[in-house]
Amino acid sequence: MNEIEIALFLESGVRLGIPLALAALGETITERSGVINIGLEGSIIAGALGGAVGALAFGDPAVGVMAGALAGVAVAFVFAAFAIGLGTDQIITGTAITLGGLGLTGAVYQARFGATGTALTLPTLPSAPVPLLSDIPWIGGALFDQAPTAYVAYALAPALWYFLFRTAWGLELRAVGEAPIAAHAAGVRVRRVRFLATVFGGGLAGLAGAHLALAHAGTFAEGMSAGRGFIAIAVVVLGRWNPLLVLCAALFFGAASALQFFLQAFGFDAPYQLFLALPYVLTLAALAGWVGRSRAPAALALPWRSE
Amino acid sequence: MNRPSRFLSILASVVAVGCSGGDSEVDVALRAALLTSGPVSDAGWYAGAYDGLKLIESFLGAQVSHQQTRTPAEFDEAFLAYAADGYDLIFAHGFEYQDAAIRAGELFPNTTIIVSGGGRVAANVVPLIFRLEEGSYLAGMAAAGLSRTGIVGMVGGVAIPPAQGTFRAFEAGARAIDPEVRVLETFTGDWNDVAAAKEATVAQINRGADVIIHNVDAASFGVFQAVRESVAAGRTTWALGMNSDQNDVAPDVIVGSAVIRIPEAFVAVALAWQEGDVGGEAIYAGSNQQVVDFVINPALAHVVPLDLLERIDLSRTQIRSGELVVPRVAFVEGEVGVR
Repeated sequence: MNEIEIALFLESGVRLGIPLALAALGETITERSGVINIGLEGSIIAGALGGAVGALAFGDPAVGVMAGALAGVAVAFVFAAFAIGLGTDQIITGTAITLGGLGLTGAVYQARFGATGTALTLPTLPSAPVPLLSDIPWIGGALFDQAPTAYVAYALAPALWYFLFRTAWGLELRAVGEAPIAAHAAGVRVRRVRFLATVFGGGLAGLAGAHLALAHAGTFAEGMSAGRGFIAIAVVVLGRWNPLLVLCAALFFGAASALQFFLQAFGFDAPYQLFLALPYVLTLAALAGWVGRSRAPAALALPWRSE
Repeated sequence: MNRPSRFLSILASVVAVGCSGGDSEVDVALRAALLTSGPVSDAGWYAGAYDGLKLIESFLGAQVSHQQTRTPAEFDEAFLAYAADGYDLIFAHGFEYQDAAIRAGELFPNTTIIVSGGGRVAANVVPLIFRLEEGSYLAGMAAAGLSRTGIVGMVGGVAIPPAQGTFRAFEAGARAIDPEVRVLETFTGDWNDVAAAKEATVAQINRGADVIIHNVDAASFGVFQAVRESVAAGRTTWALGMNSDQNDVAPDVIVGSAVIRIPEAFVAVALAWQEGDVGGEAIYAGSNQQVVDFVINPALAHVVPLDLLERIDLSRTQIRSGELVVPRVAFVEGEVGVR
């Protein structure tokens, strides 16, 4: 590979990593509060459809991005109502939300755009190169010549890190996820914190979906989230529930995905399944290598009922 | 081949009548169901099947139902639900249904299951094999003829026999025009992941491919979008459609489509079933029955050189007469004449 090819590869990796980063950053906050939202996939696909419909209706991708985030919030709200409000099992509720989200978006899409589908051409979010930074050799174009939603991810990672580890609210949030009984005794409203953290995560997942439809694919297709919600949950683990590491992990996973397409296009004579497994194998190796020393929030997935 | 000529004549007449919804003399209440393992909104493989089901409803006055199954566990459930409910014909639209179809077929001998691209046969489980490679071969000729770089690309979902068959034939067709042509091949592992298909296409375009064909479902939108963007960036790049006539899906970049006229084929199978002609052996449908073809997009016909069109037409005639044998992969175990 020469320099141009490496730049193209990195660009592709960042493009594939950004939706994962947005969804995983949101899920990091959700999980830090003690809630695992397996329904993330549902928020992503709702965000993609919401983004597509919003952008088409107003002819403005910025409106689409907001509509997508709202759609993600709406889906997470349903999850939170059951899993936090009623204390239902988070894994089962999340699975139901994912399946429901995929089915409902399909039904809405078919009702709106015809049962046999149309290749929508959406008003897309153009990439906005950052002056100076985008001229950095090798990585400048990849990181800083992207759609504005990518910069949201870059900005959120340090902001969320600061929020979690340097503010009182962040401390409350982590306390709720580690020791809800103690937090409750100290006067923290456990369910309210969890509710807000979950809805925030849903909003970012919706943003990830909107990015997928408006900044990446430029179109909508049923099932286009293609398991990214679940990968984002793995990315949170890989990033050890730390927003800065989560951003790196998402970009790493994106690069691994881009690598599979590059190797195949280069015509390497090996079974393509090996390339497809590449991102997962790298993730497994990374998990085994260094996440072993980290641990999940102690109260993750445990419902809170004692109020 | 392998089918009574009666089936072929019915098929030909349906294709001729098309969607005109002519009056059906046979007034039998037929109940037909369709199973797909992806969304029918893909404007391709599943959309064609859904149109076929609707055509059976309007053309034969049948009662129809469609279900999308997501996991293999749901395949069995769906078969049992329809068969137990007394459905006569179940169209299981994909290679992946073949094992569940055999299991359900044993339990419900009165239900006939048609498995598109299937590989296993029973008295009431019938593979319906589309010779899409015949259309894909012609698409390969078009691709090599249009390419200026001498590099063409194929983006697929999962390397199941129906997908591999179309790609091998595409390669052979491309070589027939340009023996030196380079053919890139990428599988994304997902039929509906638009973003992955788009990145795979971008990677191929960056390697110099300037004509891209796909064999995915809804993810094809990502392939077309990548081609569009490369055109917007000043390159000359074309896309080719697959499975259904996709020429109007992205009329600005799709030069032609390797098509299966799935709706007409489904109606022909339903008619043959009513005649008692379906069972015990695979049904083959290819360019001989005009079910499979390669159709040029009228809006872009001007970019295809006349001599290339003539060579494609000649090959189409030769395929129909059996003079030209398109390479293909085996669908049904022990199939004869496969290389």
